[in-house]
Amino acid sequence: MGLIDRTRAVRDRRGVLRTLVVRDLQVRYAQSVLGYVWTILDPLLMSLIYFVVFVFIFKRGDIGHQPYFLFLIVGLLSWQWFSGTLTDTSRALIQEAKLVRSTNLPREIWVVRVVLSKGVEFLLSLPVLLLFLVIYLIRGKAHINGWLVLFPVGVLVEFIALVGLGLLLAPVTALVSDTQRVIRIALRMLFYATPIIYASHLVPAPYDVITWLNPMTGILEMLRAGFFPHPPGQEIEWGAIAVGAVMSVLLLLVGSWVFGRLERAVLKEI
Amino acid sequence: MTEARQLDTEPIISVKDLGVEFYRSRKRQLSLREMLFRGKSGTSKETFWALDGVTFDIHPGEAVGLVGGNGAGKSTLLKMIAGVLLPDRGSVDVHGGVAPLIELTGGFVNDLSARDNIYLTAGLHGLTRAQVDEHFDEIVDFAGPQVRAGLDMPYRHFSSGMKVRLGFAVITTLDEPIVVVDEVLAVGDREFREKCYKRMESLLASGKTLFLVSHSESNLKRFGDRGLYLRQGKLVLDGPMDDVLAAYNADIDSAS
Repeated sequence: MGLIDRTRAVRDRRGVLRTLVVRDLQVRYAQSVLGYVWTILDPLLMSLIYFVVFVFIFKRGDIGHQPYFLFLIVGLLSWQWFSGTLTDTSRALIQEAKLVRSTNLPREIWVVRVVLSKGVEFLLSLPVLLLFLVIYLIRGKAHINGWLVLFPVGVLVEFIALVGLGLLLAPVTALVSDTQRVIRIALRMLFYATPIIYASHLVPAPYDVITWLNPMTGILEMLRAGFFPHPPGQEIEWGAIAVGAVMSVLLLLVGSWVFGRLERAVLKEI
Repeated sequence: MTEARQLDTEPIISVKDLGVEFYRSRKRQLSLREMLFRGKSGTSKETFWALDGVTFDIHPGEAVGLVGGNGAGKSTLLKMIAGVLLPDRGSVDVHGGVAPLIELTGGFVNDLSARDNIYLTAGLHGLTRAQVDEHFDEIVDFAGPQVRAGLDMPYRHFSSGMKVRLGFAVITTLDEPIVVVDEVLAVGDREFREKCYKRMESLLASGKTLFLVSHSESNLKRFGDRGLYLRQGKLVLDGPMDDVLAAYNADIDSAS
């Protein structure tokens, strides 16, 4: 079946998808009062750590846009969606093996469901970003411009990239047992290869073009465009955005192809 | 007896030359570490066909029992029909939804209450919230007074019997034209078993198609009027249940 048929099959079962996402959020939030705090605490603390390290110790607050703390929060919140999804989608089929074995749903649902529930968590963490934005605006240090329209586009592209990567990783992990370790290490390396704690225009040529191949480079460029000024030398990197969008769509195509090829074998194994 | 039905209806399940290949070692789980350091996966690549060239049609309203020893491919065939396994060869066409009484408790989450679990599992099998509301009491009644008393308890505190009852109650409430049953009739106490039998009989009476795996001859006779005899993945006999059971028993007797 082609990508369009599979998409239609998943869309036909969107009621199930909603049930699953609601269940994830229920488990995540209803279980503990701290549920919501946990989702935002991690990126906030990491932002604080990098802020202290780079601004107070290295005195290099200029490696990102200003204000640097706001710059970090945008990066770390969306990175948390990215890495959390990849960690969880790689387990998506194994963890729910019983459900996968007993319900005749399009199997892609198990991947899309993780991307969506992590995505909802990401959206729910945005008020934190808003709060700091307001604080910096009141203090006259922040800036907003019309490129804010790129923010939802960035969210959409990140969703596409994540579904693609999830479809790629979930069946591979079900078949090859130690893939999860590899993913964990790869994610840690990718964190530093992604312009999260530094701005992409600081990457020296010719390496800057290589970082464009990482879809998160373009995605972050879109998410940040509206929050920071763009004086000469810090223009929006349209190249990164274009390459990131193309890479995301490619990942989706490759991911759904691989998923379709491995589905049969995975169902026998789990 | 099934002849008359075959004449006037299209098949609801159509299986053609179905084959599925499994690895001989139970788990084929590869490991990157092994692949890198030994240059191969280390486990044997030997395969066998769990189902091999199986062909049959089932018409609406039929009650079919699968007969065969352990490892004959009965559960595999059931999973194929439920759509949770995919064929390596041939095809399985199922026209209509399937209510799978397979892994009854598979959809339940330990940390949520029984009430939430009913909505969740029924939702996974395609019921809307309103539909669950409508059948909620029916489900809980069927599962029994113990379950009703523990509705808002986390599911984890249920006894295994209560878990299976709840699962059975939810799945049999799904209004799907095909019901597949895998050995679940053996669980529960006698009282609940009787209740299950009655529910299955009423499902049959309402015109549903039943596909049953059981090792119990009395269950097979009670619920199946047509038998399929599987031996090592091959369909050796397809006919009235009594004939199929006779053939199966004759094979066992001659082997021993």
